[in-house]
Amino acid sequence: MSTETSGPEITSRPSGRAARERMYRYILLLCAALSILVTVSIVVLLVWNSISFFTSVGLVDYLFNPEFLISRGEFGLLPLLSGTLIITVVSAVIALPTGVAAAIYLSEYASERMRSILKPGLEILAGIPTVVYGIFALVYVTPLLQAVGLPVNTFNTLSASIMVGIMIIPMVSSLSEDAMSAVPDSLRQAGYGMGATKFEVTTGVVVPAAASGIFSSFILALSRAIGETMIVVIAAGSRARLLNFAEPLQNFWQGYQPMTAAMVQINGAESVSQIGFSSMYAIGLTLFVVTFLLNLASNRIAARYREEYE
Amino acid sequence: MATEQGNWYGDDSKVENLRGRAFEATCLAATAFGLVSVLILLLYVARDAFRPFSADVGWHVTYAVTLLVPLAALVVYYYRSDEPAGEVAYVTSGLPIVGLLLTGGFVVVFTELLTVLEWFALVVSAAVALGLIVAHGRLRPKAPLERLLVALAAPVVTLLGTPPAQFNWLFNDLTGVLGLGVELNHQVISLRQAITMLPFAPTDWVMLLLTLVLPLAAAGGWFVGKRRESRRDGIAVVALTTVVAAFGLVAGPLLGVGVEGWVLLATFTGLPVGIYVEGVVRRDEGRAGLAFPAVAVLGVLAGSVAVDALGFSGPDAWLDWGFLVSAASRTPADAGIYPAMVGSVMMIIVIVLTTFPAGVGAAIYLEEYAPSKGPMGKLVTLIEINIGNLAGVPSVVYGLLGLGLFIRIMAWPQGSVIVAGLAVGLLILPIVIISAQEAIRSVPDSFRQASYGMGATRWQTIRQVVLPEALPGILTGTILALGRAIGETAPLLMIGAAASVRLAPNSFFDVASMMPRQIFTWSSELEPAFRHGVLAAGVITLLAVLLVMNGTAIVIRNRYQRQG
Repeated sequence: MSTETSGPEITSRPSGRAARERMYRYILLLCAALSILVTVSIVVLLVWNSISFFTSVGLVDYLFNPEFLISRGEFGLLPLLSGTLIITVVSAVIALPTGVAAAIYLSEYASERMRSILKPGLEILAGIPTVVYGIFALVYVTPLLQAVGLPVNTFNTLSASIMVGIMIIPMVSSLSEDAMSAVPDSLRQAGYGMGATKFEVTTGVVVPAAASGIFSSFILALSRAIGETMIVVIAAGSRARLLNFAEPLQNFWQGYQPMTAAMVQINGAESVSQIGFSSMYAIGLTLFVVTFLLNLASNRIAARYREEYE
Repeated sequence: MATEQGNWYGDDSKVENLRGRAFEATCLAATAFGLVSVLILLLYVARDAFRPFSADVGWHVTYAVTLLVPLAALVVYYYRSDEPAGEVAYVTSGLPIVGLLLTGGFVVVFTELLTVLEWFALVVSAAVALGLIVAHGRLRPKAPLERLLVALAAPVVTLLGTPPAQFNWLFNDLTGVLGLGVELNHQVISLRQAITMLPFAPTDWVMLLLTLVLPLAAAGGWFVGKRRESRRDGIAVVALTTVVAAFGLVAGPLLGVGVEGWVLLATFTGLPVGIYVEGVVRRDEGRAGLAFPAVAVLGVLAGSVAVDALGFSGPDAWLDWGFLVSAASRTPADAGIYPAMVGSVMMIIVIVLTTFPAGVGAAIYLEEYAPSKGPMGKLVTLIEINIGNLAGVPSVVYGLLGLGLFIRIMAWPQGSVIVAGLAVGLLILPIVIISAQEAIRSVPDSFRQASYGMGATRWQTIRQVVLPEALPGILTGTILALGRAIGETAPLLMIGAAASVRLAPNSFFDVASMMPRQIFTWSSELEPAFRHGVLAAGVITLLAVLLVMNGTAIVIRNRYQRQG
């Protein structure tokens, strides 16, 4: 651009401007690329630090050893996986039906006024720090369960699972509700036109139409439950053991140590062997891979099976 | 349904609405289940923290009469007949609380992190650096390379100074290679360091007035002047704020908050509350709402006078002023959360300074620049997917990242504020990016096209059109993300934040504890006084901070959604 014309100078610094525009563009791109860098460093760090673990313990031993006791050099994943499994399943039993029912209520039945109260309320549930949920479980829920007459220990999976379940309700409900709200009204009206009741329209039209969204919210919620740390650290105890098939109910009364809690315990231990410390990264890698795959699956399902409406 | 006439082709089952009703009730119960159970648990915690039953019945009755009944009456009145006033009441009660929280944050910064003189030097030097860059741009507008040099050198001269003298060889080698023949034999200190070494310095409150009150008052004045399109009003705001803050010279010591305390109070609490109240009075909309905070304050005063006069004793609460200002202790009665609170405040400072700019920058790129085709388009899609996935990575893994990256590789002290802030900052980065993207996306395209039509470049459009429009949304998302950051515990455990500290951290490289970390420590104490008293008080403190932050975010969202 030329500024030699006699007109008013509306474009000062013509040469500097293009360079500046480029500079801002690259700075901003750098910010965006930071997220890639974070992922890469997580992966590199976890893999790099667990190499020494896998070379000395071995993948087979890690996957199939039924014991996890660092002091005795036993590094089996199965006991930790048992704890994670119990917590995830019980919390899913609580949260998935509750969350979907809440989504149905908010999307199909609630009046504008009820929605304006309940929806922020559920958001608040999601905003409570997990350490607080853990304290709820240990200090208030466990004594309550004992008072009701259940034979739970001080540290038990039941109270931890209940709190994890309540924590993930908002995740299920808000994503499922989004999916249900995306179902066009014409489908509902077609249902009513066929003489269906509101109940039939909801369960027969809306929920099936939103199924992919609901399912992907389930997977995300499971992934959250698997990765949840503080609740299980505080309330589920620090003893890693295998599932008890002989007395299934014991699985709820006793404490189990899930993967996340084991990582925290290893990190906080006073003296731990080099190999023990690197097992923390191996568990972290396992956890990362599992949650990553679940999140990926959730996205895929939401994207692939989404019904497109005009 | 009755089908007496004509033929009915359906089967003979009746249309029942019982099943539908039962289903609706079940769904409502499911929605309420989580809320109600958490509410009950919170009531238990509140009971443990405040121990209301340890107070005399007379105490409860007195406060019920002076405070609760009038407030409840007002709430009913607002709900029934004056909804705008209800909102005014909500904001005028909340704004002072937010202001007090900010004031407290700054008091913490000035008592623990830096002296007022250091702050003064920092602000003055930053202003000088900025002034240099701008002045150069004005004087020599056609020298981009020189400008880049100035932009790099000005902060060094004013803020950083050269590295310690043992690194001088680096500079000397560099100038030697370039053939400049300049040698550096001593450490050259920056303007900032020079100011802190001045033999004479203005008194603290003068420095605060110059570097904190005036800029904020100017911002407030600019805001008011722009909203009302009246320069005079803006100047009035600046003048009034300054006068009120300066008045602290007399009032501060009288009230026992100190001159500096008053100055901070006037800027962070007085200024916003004043602007809001004045606006309400001027617009004459929901003026009745102003009664709510007034009644609350009067009720508390009247209640305390009456309780004193009648000799009722209040509850022996765990959560009291002493809890907020004292350090962790082995004896439950002395235990407090102050150092952990300072740790949390400093962690938030780190996050705001690092994650916020990076997150908003990424969001700007993804929404405004990102191409959708070609190899760059692929990269952008990858970034988008990656951000979604990062948001789902468990927090404990971010703790491992912080441990490996900042403590093992960078060799920063274990459990220090900076490591905690960066680890938790990376954790909330995807949340900040996603919410900022949503805010930027909601700015209508016509705004951008209008700006381009006026000949603005892309960056000018972003800076002057898109960002101001998206700012409330970005702020809302960021405050919510910061709320998440304050309560995050697992990364703190992994990077080795202290279980509890007696002294508050004084620098970003000090080992510190944060509120949730301290609460976790208390949760493993077996003594009932800890488990049911101190622990509950800590939980309530943390939740109160979160409540104020989330409330602020929601108010900002509501105000600007309506305008938009």
